[in-house]
Amino acid sequence: MSEVFEPKIVAFVCTYCTYAGADLAGTSRLKYPSNVRIVRLPCTGRISPMFILKALQKGADGVLVSGCHPGDCHFDHGNYHARRRWTVFNSLLQFAGVPEERVKFSWISAAEGIKFAELIRDITEDIRKIGPFEEYHTLIAETGSAAPL
Amino acid sequence: MSIQEHYRSRAKELLSAGTVKMVIGYGAGSTPDRRRPVFITSPDEADRLVLDTTCRTNLSGYLLREGLLSDQKQVAVFLTVDGIRSLNVLAAESQLDTSQVLVFGFGIEGDQARAIEGERAADFKSVIAAAKEQRKSQPADELQEKLEAMTPKERFSFWEGEFSRCIKCYACRQACPMCWCRRCVVDNNQPQWVNTSSHTLGNLEWNLLRAFHLAGRCVECGNCSRACPADIPLHLLNRRMADEVQASFDHYPGMDEAQEPVLASFRKDDPETFIL
Repeated sequence: MSEVFEPKIVAFVCTYCTYAGADLAGTSRLKYPSNVRIVRLPCTGRISPMFILKALQKGADGVLVSGCHPGDCHFDHGNYHARRRWTVFNSLLQFAGVPEERVKFSWISAAEGIKFAELIRDITEDIRKIGPFEEYHTLIAETGSAAPL
Repeated sequence: MSIQEHYRSRAKELLSAGTVKMVIGYGAGSTPDRRRPVFITSPDEADRLVLDTTCRTNLSGYLLREGLLSDQKQVAVFLTVDGIRSLNVLAAESQLDTSQVLVFGFGIEGDQARAIEGERAADFKSVIAAAKEQRKSQPADELQEKLEAMTPKERFSFWEGEFSRCIKCYACRQACPMCWCRRCVVDNNQPQWVNTSSHTLGNLEWNLLRAFHLAGRCVECGNCSRACPADIPLHLLNRRMADEVQASFDHYPGMDEAQEPVLASFRKDDPETFIL
C-alpha cells in the first residue's frame, strides 16, 4: 500500500523579517501547507550551511532559507554576509548534485505575509512533484541511525 | 648553476649566517620519483635539499607547526606560486607574520624547475597577478565539464560513488595548509554536525563541508587530492568553489597579505541571481 507523499520542508528564517512575515501570514489567516517546519534564528548571518546539511541528514525533502531583504537587516549587514555564503554554498550543492528545487533561498520582509504563504505553497508543490529525496534517504538508511523529523 | 645548487648554497649561506633557523624544503623520498619534506637546521645538511619537477607538495602548512614561529626567528621555505599565495592567505588570516618567512620561490615549467625572483611574499605580487589572469583563460578540467553536463541525479550518484570510498582518514585535512583550526568542526561531538563513521552520508557531508570551508581560501595546490589514499578527486570541489568566487566576487585568494577573506566581507551589489 502506498501512502500519499507529504514533503517535509525545513525553513530557516530570521526572526526580524521572515519569521515576522510568517507570523503575519498566520494572523492574516492566509492558508499555506503545513509541510513546513520553521526554525527561527536571530539573523540570516547565523544560518550556517551546516544547518542545511543537518536538515537533509534528518530526512528533509526540501529546505528554505530566508531572511530580510538587503538593506533591511536588523543587524545592518548580517544578510549581506549570508548572501555571499549562500552563493558559494548553493553552487557547491549544485555541483554535488542536490537538485536546485530542494534548497531554496529567499528574502521575505515582515510585511510580506502573502509572499511567505505563496512561497511555501510553491515550494511544497514543487517538491511534491519531484517526490521524496530518495538518494539522500538511502544514504541515511545506510547509517542505521535514521532520526525522522 | 642549476636551481637546486643555487638554493642549496643560498640555504647554507643563510643558515651559517644565522639569518634563518630552519629551511623547509624537499628531500629524497622512498622511490626516485617521490619527495618528502625535510627540515634543515644546520649548513652541513643543506646538501640533502632536492629541487626538481617532482617537488609538488605545498610546504607552507609546515610553517604553522606549534611554536615554530613564536620565537620571532626566520624560516626559509620552498614555495611555488600556489605556495606563496597560501602564505598570503595565512597571513591575511593572522596565522603567521610574513616578515618571518623567507621564500625560495620556484615554478615548474615542462620538464624543469625554475627559480622565481623574490625573497619576501610581497615581492611576488606581479607573478600572482599573472597567475590570476592565467586562471581566467585556463581551459576547464575535462572531468569537471563532464560533471557540469550531467543531470543533478547523475552528479549525485557520481559523488556518492566517489565518497563511498572515503575512509575518513582526514589526510586531506592534514595535508591542507589552510586547515589550521585547532579544533575542527568534525571533531566536535556536541552537537555533532557530521557523522563521523565512514558511511557514505557522513563522507558526503564531511567533504562538502571541507570544500565549503575552503571556498575563497583554496589556492588549488592539489595537496588534498595527492594525499587522498582513496583517489577521490577532491580538487574538483575546490576548483568549482574557486570558479565561483572568481566569477561572482572577482576574488582570487592569496593576492597579498592584506586581502580580505571573501566570505568575511561583502559588497552591497553582490550578485543574487538565485534568491527568490
